[in-house]
Amino acid sequence: MLMQLTLGGLSQGMIYALIALSLTVVYRSTTVVNFGHGDFVMAGAFLSYVLVVLLGVAFVPAAVLAMAAMFVLGVMFNRGLIRPIRGGPHIGLALMCIAAGYLLRGIARMVWGREVLPMPPVFDMAPIFVGDLVITGDAVFIIGTVLVLLLIFFGLLAMTDLGKMVQAVYQSPRGARLIGLNVDRFNDFSWGIGAALGALGGILVAPVSLLHPDLGASFLIKGFAAMTLGGFGSLGGAVLGGVLLGVAEQYAGAYIDSALIEITAYVVIVAVLFIRPQGLFGRKAVVKV
Amino acid sequence: MSQTMPSARQRRLRTWIFWAVPVLLLLLPLATNPYTQFIANGMLVSVLVTLGFTLTIGNLGQLAFANTAFFGIGAYASAILAAKLGVPWLLTIPLAGAFGALGGFLASAAALRGIRSYYLAIITLAFGELMRWGYTHFSPLTGGTDGTPMPRETLFGISLTDDTLKFYVFLGVTVLLVKGTLNLLRSRFGRAVMAVRENEIATASLAIPTSRVILVTFMWSGFVVGCAGALFARHVGHVFPESFGMLHLIASFAMVLVGGLGSVLGSVLGAVLLTALPEYLRAFPGMEELFFGLIVAGVLVLMPMGLASLLRRLSPIFVERHYREAP
Repeated sequence: MLMQLTLGGLSQGMIYALIALSLTVVYRSTTVVNFGHGDFVMAGAFLSYVLVVLLGVAFVPAAVLAMAAMFVLGVMFNRGLIRPIRGGPHIGLALMCIAAGYLLRGIARMVWGREVLPMPPVFDMAPIFVGDLVITGDAVFIIGTVLVLLLIFFGLLAMTDLGKMVQAVYQSPRGARLIGLNVDRFNDFSWGIGAALGALGGILVAPVSLLHPDLGASFLIKGFAAMTLGGFGSLGGAVLGGVLLGVAEQYAGAYIDSALIEITAYVVIVAVLFIRPQGLFGRKAVVKV
Repeated sequence: MSQTMPSARQRRLRTWIFWAVPVLLLLLPLATNPYTQFIANGMLVSVLVTLGFTLTIGNLGQLAFANTAFFGIGAYASAILAAKLGVPWLLTIPLAGAFGALGGFLASAAALRGIRSYYLAIITLAFGELMRWGYTHFSPLTGGTDGTPMPRETLFGISLTDDTLKFYVFLGVTVLLVKGTLNLLRSRFGRAVMAVRENEIATASLAIPTSRVILVTFMWSGFVVGCAGALFARHVGHVFPESFGMLHLIASFAMVLVGGLGSVLGSVLGAVLLTALPEYLRAFPGMEELFFGLIVAGVLVLMPMGLASLLRRLSPIFVERHYREAP
């Protein structure tokens, strides 16, 4: 029972980790928290649906195509709508992200109305039985994909020049500009990566859930909860926070009350911000006058 | 851009206009049919929602999204008090306001705990969603997904299903709260609110109790929006959890932004303009979201200070003393 819950929690948590990570990528480079990110996740899921079900593309190329499309969308969003108001107050930036999310949601609803779309299962593997534990193909697929992706992501960050550039911009965008880095292009790139990674979250959940235009809202909150838990702005913290949140949800749902699954994330946000605002791995924010 | 302050004559004219508008509105029910009257009532509710919202995000400059929660708390407080305890609806309005203020107190507790900026936005979003979860799961009190119907009731011998009667009550409450808010913002307290937005640390160094300023602004915002909730409960006659979701939040954003962040005049204009338009879009799925999304994005890029800034440029009459545009 405990193992089964942990496995279920891990595969959910991997999705949350991916979403939290993609939010953090954008936040760290541009200090913008994308309040429309949930709808980027939703858009990823719908794009893969269009490609797989309507156009008959195989799942893996469809996922790659959908991520590429979302990368472009992320870049366009940064250039067209975020950059013109960069210098303004944070409220404007937050509202712009929410507006973008609503545009995506509106488009999805305009096309699909109030329908709920089922996506065909992708990984039709027979479940593996290990003692009492049932390991489904979907769980293997989700956990495996995200793990590989995380390895690539953190590997690139730790071992390449690109990683050094990321460090430089995170530490001081102004300093990075001074030594000749193209920070504007870097920000475009971050938005693109953020959108693509978020979309992958949607693509991965699509086969195991029903698609509807409001799908993103709950993922946004889960992503925030994961970020808050792990330490807002910490890349590794976002991943660990996501995994912990996924497992915590399953435990709370099974051992306390199934209605709690929906609100675990909210409770986590409120509790962490009141008790330990810097999260598990974040540094305490110091306001300098 | 320096602003010319209105002259004494213009200020007198402004006072006249301020009181002439509600007086003229008394005649409005003569010109409406039942449908347009219903819309007009909805506009008055939106005016209060927008006003309360702009207080925290515009005047105080805090990224707090709890206003949809205050609205829901007010509406449920009114419906539960009226349906379960038989409190007359008129009396539930200030009570709903008090519950809204309590919500504002909780939100400001977060802000005062050092939870600011994006953290505040996230925790207030979570607060709103938690409330919505509460509406559906505490069914003995709230009626769950079926919601709570408002009881039948009469006021001055007329049934409270009558939209004209509702209009007069709504108008009275709206004028009171708008005037109250204006007075608050014009006072020493209002200047402190403005100072906190511009620079909280510098304000504190002037021995202004910034925590108290934040607390009171949030509570007043909660009060105004809570009262709006009570009006809304009567307006639609039945309180459902879905009314207080994300679509309501983006609609309020759009109203605040179109009118102009932090402007009382703007919140009235924004609410009036944006309550009527989406009525026509309701028949087409997705159009409401597209519409509000486009409006918010467009206003942010093209007219960040909203309609109020255009009017201010037109004539000093529209310059609000409590609000100064950044140079």
